[in-house]
Amino acid sequence: MSTNNIIRSLRALRVLVLHPRDNQAEELLRQISRIGCRGAAIWPPPEKLPDEGDVVFVEVKETISKDIRRLFDIDRSHRPTVIGVVAYENPSVLQGLLDLEVDAVVTVPLRPFGVLSSMVIARRVSQEFKVADRTLGKLKRKFDSVHKISQAKFILMKLHGLSEEEAYGTIRTQAMTKRTTMADIAQAIINADGILGSTAGRRKPERLKLTVTGD
Amino acid sequence: MAEQLALRVGVLFSQTGATAIIERSQLNGALLAIEEINQSGGVNGRRLEPVILDPGSVPIRYGEMAEQLLSEDGVTVIFGCYMSSARKEVLPVVERRNAMFFYPTLYEGFEYSPNVIYGGAAPNQNSVPLASYLMELYGNRFYFVGSDYIYPRESNRVMRNIVRQGRGTVVGERYVSLDGTPEDFDAVIADIKRQKPDVIFSTVVGTGTVHFYQAYLRHGGNAAKVPIASLTTNEAEVEAMGPQAAAGHITAAPYFRTISSDANRRFLDGYRRMFGSITTVTSCCEAVYFQVHMFADAVRRIGSTDTDRLRVALMSAEYDAPQGRVWVDPENHHTFLHSRIARVDETGEFVIQREMPRPVKPDPYLAYPALNDWSLRLLNPDPDPLGSRLEHVVHVNQQHH
Repeated sequence: MSTNNIIRSLRALRVLVLHPRDNQAEELLRQISRIGCRGAAIWPPPEKLPDEGDVVFVEVKETISKDIRRLFDIDRSHRPTVIGVVAYENPSVLQGLLDLEVDAVVTVPLRPFGVLSSMVIARRVSQEFKVADRTLGKLKRKFDSVHKISQAKFILMKLHGLSEEEAYGTIRTQAMTKRTTMADIAQAIINADGILGSTAGRRKPERLKLTVTGD
Repeated sequence: MAEQLALRVGVLFSQTGATAIIERSQLNGALLAIEEINQSGGVNGRRLEPVILDPGSVPIRYGEMAEQLLSEDGVTVIFGCYMSSARKEVLPVVERRNAMFFYPTLYEGFEYSPNVIYGGAAPNQNSVPLASYLMELYGNRFYFVGSDYIYPRESNRVMRNIVRQGRGTVVGERYVSLDGTPEDFDAVIADIKRQKPDVIFSTVVGTGTVHFYQAYLRHGGNAAKVPIASLTTNEAEVEAMGPQAAAGHITAAPYFRTISSDANRRFLDGYRRMFGSITTVTSCCEAVYFQVHMFADAVRRIGSTDTDRLRVALMSAEYDAPQGRVWVDPENHHTFLHSRIARVDETGEFVIQREMPRPVKPDPYLAYPALNDWSLRLLNPDPDPLGSRLEHVVHVNQQHH
């Protein structure tokens, strides 16, 4: 991820301010517009977050209303960057910041100086989280597939007396012929083995030393 | 009685140290404006009284002296600072005490304070026009030389982005300490000769400027072929380095002494009367001059120096400055300024090469200025901008007599 891009694309950000309309919200909106972003105030909290918000400033108090909580209780891939606006630093407010999983914080009384840094850091944090989520998902899928293939290889080896390489080759050839993934073929083998009740269950797979050759 | 009524204003420019040349010029600009205001009856019957302190070009002293001005000398308004590092020292002081601070110097942008009015150019008002001019006339291989503090580094970041947009390259980048000696620049120039740039972009400030230009001349630098371009090198520094070292080099600024306008002539006449000559008049001097006038006008309008009321009044402040009409941008407290590019001739005078037809809106939070921004297109200067108007003025005067 290019962090340079965060600064470069700052002015393209659409910013929402979810805060009672007072002097602090006004000052925050003015600073957002000085920075060169399109800002809009929303209050009271809407049914759902408008799609056009890239960054949302949200007031965080000692209790967080259900309305606010619901707004941010969404899948991370759809979550905007969230910046908490706090007037107190007591443990209740701090817990609120953790519960809402904010990416950065600004404090009130608001000083214009510091808003830009908070926005930049919040963007980095939320982008990193999204990238990490995606990477994690990818690794999980990859791990599942490798695991299935090992299991299927083991079944073939026991059932047909194949060597590990032959078992692997069989799965791969099947996947290529059927134009599908090795994980799908492996799953089919595992399913079939379950139905036909093979030898696979007699010995626990984890006790076998299988080398994972990858898919 | 009159002394009790005097309205005291803080004036915080260094008369000693590395940036004394330019800051003395700024001090004079403030004193001239104050003198003019007092000559015309002061502000609502009160005489302006400057409280002048000399921070000796040491950033931390600016903060300490601002504190002293506000807490002991009873001022609520300060005019001052050249270097960004000095402004950063004053900023928390004026914010904490809710005073009004006028900063009459170009700087790198990315700042806003409700307690500051910025009178110098932001990068969109000077860097972009300068870069496009240089690439058009000299080429796109740039060499950066700067003093080692925040303004040059950030200024160079902006310039690098603009140069890249113009498909140019930065072939070298060197920083010299603020109290750099002539010998420090010998090494820089040796490297410039190796890299063979088309143009040198200098963000060297203070006495280093004089050393740098003189060293360039000493080592056979050819300003006609590879000029030094700057946003800060000014009339006072040209005076200090001598016309031979300065000739052919380029500066972008809102104001040059050679502007022909009634306001500028009045300004220069007044300066000459007060200080004997106009050799030290610079764009930063002009900036503080119009800021003091803007302040006085605002106080006249509201009849008070209360900071909160003054802030509101300044949001609609306009002034017929020597550079032309300027006004405060209420969105960001910076100033709509003119944009001009000038080259030093063999007598050491800046000759305007290009200028913007209208004042440019300040955009202090612009991270990536666009080189081809149509709103920043420069024109050749009006060959006789004053001639016709001057005739008109003379004519009208004759009628009155």
